[in-house]
Amino acid sequence: MDISRRNNVNVIGNPQGPTVVLAHGFGCDQNMWRLTVPALVEEYRVVLFDYVGSGRAEPSAFSEERYASLDGYARDVVDICEALDLHEAVFVGHSVSAMIGVLAAGLAPERIGALVMVAPSPRYIDEESYRGGFSAEDIDELLGSLESNYLGWSAAMAPVIMGNAERPELGDELANSFCATDPAMARVFARATFLSDSRDDLKSVSVPTLVLECAQDVIAPREVGAFVHQAIPGSKLITLDATGHCPHLSAPEATNEALTAFLAGLR
Amino acid sequence: MSPLKITTRDAATGPVLEITGELDYTSAPALRELLTTLTLQPGQRLVLDLAGMEFCDSSGLTTLIAARNHAHAAQSDIALAAVPDHTLRVLRIVGLDQILPIHPDSRSAARP
Amino acid sequence: MCPTGQQPDPHGTSEEKTANAAFAALLEDSAEELYESAPCGYLSTLMDGTIAKINSTLLGWLGLERDAVVGRMRFTDLLTVGGKLYHETHFAPLLRMQGQIGGIALEMKQANGTRMPVLVSSVIKHGANGEPLLIRTTSFDARDRRAYEEELLRGRKVAEEARRQAEADRARLQEALAVLQQSLLPATLPPVPGVETAAHYHTASPDRLGGDFYDVFPVDDKRFAFFLGDVCGKGPQAAAVTSLTRYTLRAAALHDSDPVAALSTLNKVLHERYSGSGDPRYCTAVFGILDPDPVTGQVAVRLAAGGHPPVLVLRADGAADFLPTPGGLLVGILPDAHFVTATTVLAPGDTLLLYTDGLTEARTGQDRTDLFGDEALRAFAADHAGTSPQAVVQALIGLLHSFADGLDDDTALLALGVPALNPQTTNPS
Repeated sequence: MDISRRNNVNVIGNPQGPTVVLAHGFGCDQNMWRLTVPALVEEYRVVLFDYVGSGRAEPSAFSEERYASLDGYARDVVDICEALDLHEAVFVGHSVSAMIGVLAAGLAPERIGALVMVAPSPRYIDEESYRGGFSAEDIDELLGSLESNYLGWSAAMAPVIMGNAERPELGDELANSFCATDPAMARVFARATFLSDSRDDLKSVSVPTLVLECAQDVIAPREVGAFVHQAIPGSKLITLDATGHCPHLSAPEATNEALTAFLAGLR
Repeated sequence: MSPLKITTRDAATGPVLEITGELDYTSAPALRELLTTLTLQPGQRLVLDLAGMEFCDSSGLTTLIAARNHAHAAQSDIALAAVPDHTLRVLRIVGLDQILPIHPDSRSAARP
Repeated sequence: MCPTGQQPDPHGTSEEKTANAAFAALLEDSAEELYESAPCGYLSTLMDGTIAKINSTLLGWLGLERDAVVGRMRFTDLLTVGGKLYHETHFAPLLRMQGQIGGIALEMKQANGTRMPVLVSSVIKHGANGEPLLIRTTSFDARDRRAYEEELLRGRKVAEEARRQAEADRARLQEALAVLQQSLLPATLPPVPGVETAAHYHTASPDRLGGDFYDVFPVDDKRFAFFLGDVCGKGPQAAAVTSLTRYTLRAAALHDSDPVAALSTLNKVLHERYSGSGDPRYCTAVFGILDPDPVTGQVAVRLAAGGHPPVLVLRADGAADFLPTPGGLLVGILPDAHFVTATTVLAPGDTLLLYTDGLTEARTGQDRTDLFGDEALRAFAADHAGTSPQAVVQALIGLLHSFADGLDDDTALLALGVPALNPQTTNPS
C-alpha cells in the first residue's frame, strides 16, 4: 500500500529546508501540531503523519499483531522516512512517540539525525526503585475510560454498544472529530504505549537529543524527565513552565522557542 | 415444487398410499416413518400410487426399496402405480424396474 | 406567558397578580441559587487546571469542603487515575484545539473512596483579545446511565463471545468434513502408462458430505482398475457407505479383477451390512479394467455397471456414444444381483467419460424445471470428442458452472483417454 496514503502523510513548509518530522502521541493525531507548524514552515520542511490506527490513517492497514508493540509504530516511521527518502531528519515525538523515535533511530540510523522528545516516558508503570507514576491497575482504568468514550465516534455510541457499528461516516460533522479513533485500535495503541518498557533503549541513542518536559505533568512527571535526560548521553533537558501533558498546546510559545533554538543549533 | 403429501386408503388388496409432491432427501423420512407403522397381512399388496409425485431423488428411490423390503418381510407384495415418466426412466437406469412391479394406474395395481 | 418586566395586566384578577409576583420573585432569586444548587456540578478552573470556583452540588457529590478545593486542587485531582490519563491524552488536547468538548464519560473520586461516573463538558472562556482565560466545566451524574451502558456492553461481549465460539465450531466442523470428504477420494490419480486421466468432484454443499466417489489404481504390473459411483443419500451415513464401497472395491479388485466379480463382492458386502438394518443403503457404480497394449497403443476396456447411467465413449473422429450396460441393478439391494459386462477399445484420441447423475439431472431452463438429460450430455461430449481427457473435464466443469443453482447434487467426473498421435490434427471440430 502507498505509505503516504496509509499514514496520511502531509509534507509542508520550505522544500529546501532541513526536514522535521512531527509525530503525535497516543490519544490524538497530527492535528496536535497545529500551533507548532507555523513556527517551522518558513525555514523547515515539515512532515506530518498519523500512525496506523489513529486519525485519518488507512484503517484497513491496521493489524493487531503489528501494532501491539511500539516496534510496529517505529516501523511506520521508518517506512515514511524511506518513502520520502529522508536523511538526517529531525524527529520530534510527543509522549509515546518520543520513544517510538528512539526505536526508529535504532532501526534506521541514517534516516534520523536528531531527536526532540516532548514529555517522554520510557516506562509508565512503577517498578522497584523506578517511579513511572502509575500502577498496572491505573492502566486498566484508562482502558476502561477508552471503552466508555468513543471520541469522534460518540454519536455512534449506541450502535457501537449494540454491536452495529456500520454507520455512515460520522467523522466530519461530529464534535470531538479531531483525533477520531476506532476504539478497538485505540485500545491496542493504549496497551502498546502504557505497558511498554523502553528504558534500555535510551542508552543506545547517539544523535543530538533535546528532552522537553513540563513543570506539571501527571503522565510524565519530572523524575521521569530526569531519568530520560540522564540515560541519553549528551542530551539536553528543558523544563517548560507548562501544565499538563501537551506543552505544544498549552504553552505553544515556550515550546516553539525551545524547539527552534535546538533546531537552529543543529544547522 | 410442492411439499410431500401422503394419503392412505384401503383397497381389497391392502393399503394404497397416494404420494403427491416431492419425494426427496428432506421429505423421504416421512414416508419411511409411515411405512414402519403400516401393518400388512401376508398375501396383501402394498400399492404406492405415484400419479401425483412431482419429483423423486435417490433418497426417494431408497424409500421405494424400503417399502419393498417392508412388504416382503410381511410376506406381502408391492406394486407401483402411475409412475411418472422421468422416474420411470430413472428406475430403468438403476434396474429397479426389475424388482418393483409397475402398473399404469392404481386401479389395475389394486386389482386382485 | 411570562409577564416579567411588563406592566401588570390591568384586566388581571388579584389572584393572577399574586401568582405573577411570586413567579417573578422566584426568577430574581435564582441566579446564585441556581449555580449553587443546580442539578449538575459546576466548576471553573484557570488554564492550568487550578480550581477557582465550584458549586455546592459538586462539592456534595465529592464530599469535599470548599476551602480544601478552591485554589488548592486541580480539576484532574478530582478524577480517578485512569480518568487523569484519559484527561491528559484526550480531553485536554481536544479542549485546547476546539475550545470546547462535550459529553465525555469520566469518573470522579468521592471522599469516601467510591467512584462516581459523570458526564463532563467543558468550554474555554476567552478574553477580549482571544486569549484563553479560564475553563468552565459542567458535570452530570451518570451513575444510572453508566450502569445501563455497562449492562449493554456486558451483553454485547457475551453475544460476541458466543458468536466467536459458534464460528470456531463451524470452521472446525467444516474442516473435519473436508478431511473426511478427502478420504473418500484419491488425492491424485496415479500415472497410467499410455493413458491420460482427469477427474473432478463438484460438492453441492460444503456442509454436507457427498456420496459420489471414484478411483484409479493398478491391479497388476500391466492393468489398472477404475471405478466411479454414487451412494444414494447424503450426510455422514452416506459417507460411511462411500468409504465401505471404495475400500471394498479396491480389495475385491486385487482378489479378482473381473468387473462383474468386483461388483458382486460389493453387492454382497453392502447387502449383508445394510439389508437387515431397516435403513437400506446401496449405490450405483461403474467398475472397469484398463488393459493397455504397448505395441498398438490401444487400450482394451472391460467394464460392468450396476444401476449407473451408461458411460460415454468419445472418439477421435468426433463421435460420442453411450456404451450401454442394461439390466445392471443398484448395488446392494438384492442378495444376488447380476451385472452386465460391456467392452470397448480406446484408440489414440479416444476418451472414456464416467459421470454421476448430478450432471444429467441438473435442472435447466428459465424456471429450472427441465433436466439437462442424456442427449444434451452426448451432444456436449461430441463437441469435445478428440480433445484430451483434461480438456473434456475442463469443458464439463464450465458446463457445471453454467448450471448455477440448477445443480443441486454432487457430481463426479472421471475421464480416461489414450493420447492422440498428433493432437494438432485430430480434433475434427
